[in-house]
Amino acid sequence: MRELYTKYGGSVMGRCRYLLKDATKAEDAMHDVFARALTHGDDFRAEASPLTWLMKIATNHCLNQLRSERAGWRQWFERDAAARSEGHGGAGELETRDLVRRLLAKVDVETQAAVVHYHVDGMTLEEVATVLGRSVPTIRKRLERFAELGGEELRVR
Amino acid sequence: MSAHESEWTLRRLSAGELAAAEAARARAHAANCAACGATLRGLEQDQARFEAAVPFEHFEAGVERAVQRQRRSESFRTPPRRWVATTVAMAASVLVVVLARPLLSNGRGLNGLKGGAVAELRIGGGSGPQREARTDAPEALDYGERVRLGYQAHEHRYVAAVSVDAIGEVTPLHPESGESLPVEPGADMHWLPDSWELTGSGAERVVLVLTDAPVSVDALVDAARRAFLAADGNVERMALLDVPGEQTHWVLIKP
Repeated sequence: MRELYTKYGGSVMGRCRYLLKDATKAEDAMHDVFARALTHGDDFRAEASPLTWLMKIATNHCLNQLRSERAGWRQWFERDAAARSEGHGGAGELETRDLVRRLLAKVDVETQAAVVHYHVDGMTLEEVATVLGRSVPTIRKRLERFAELGGEELRVR
Repeated sequence: MSAHESEWTLRRLSAGELAAAEAARARAHAANCAACGATLRGLEQDQARFEAAVPFEHFEAGVERAVQRQRRSESFRTPPRRWVATTVAMAASVLVVVLARPLLSNGRGLNGLKGGAVAELRIGGGSGPQREARTDAPEALDYGERVRLGYQAHEHRYVAAVSVDAIGEVTPLHPESGESLPVEPGADMHWLPDSWELTGSGAERVVLVLTDAPVSVDALVDAARRAFLAADGNVERMALLDVPGEQTHWVLIKP
């Protein structure tokens, strides 16, 4: 347990906070993700990259939670607006990750996962394709469609 | 090829996941590259901030509570096969239906229901709340989640369901053999008696068919196989099955 905490705690908590934007919900989600690693120990131990497994589970868990909350996306945007007014000078200074967050609700859940792994985790196209069990062209197509919503900053390289 | 390490590589380096040779190369690069060095230090600072904000004892207790919650859910499981059906009593305890909504032909997905017929695929049993699957886009499943199918038959008299996985294997869900079964009487939403957990990975298409006369399960399976082949083996691009009656399709992405 301590190894999970020291190696992966920051990454998983960061993912949950990024998507849920609520400290309490993020911590609960993080506990669920690590609990999943313990209750699905065989799957987890069989992974070449436990970090990849955990981040995939964390991403899916949070995206599903957002979808499950009634009017979840609306509340999510309200939290986004509040976070911006505290931490940034305005819409003009949004970084790529803020832009990604603002646009997530406009795409389907699998594209959301691909977008988060690519733009937020900094995975390559090949790494995203492996994580999601898709071909590189399929992932590229989904990311390019997403990029059409946000312009040059979201260009797929 | 980029001159920098991907952030993901640096994150794996920070977590101690890279093989020795790759770790040495990435670490040497980060030591001599301002951008990658800063990224690596940022990741290490994120972990330090996390440890300062969430003490280990607090983390351990929270995870243990979540494990207990998940084990209570796990206790309902049966041994895995590609589709795992469970009993009515178990399904009812896992899936409490709170909403039924007509699925009309208003999306990009396949929904052949017209008039008053309704179909719904509900996902639950995982650590998150239940939700209704969309028909117009693939729906990602989380580990441990299971699905249940419901319908309002309107004037149709028989119901059946099959699934097709990413390699074209067709599984009869309801019934598993014979002919499609009579619908439950009444205008309410009726739920098929089993719930299913999908095992394996990749996409899986679930199809619910409402008909006016019985249809053999073999004919449904054949129609699903033909549709899979007609889509060049892409389960996400399959068209409506060539069978009588009305049908609704969902595409699920297994974790």
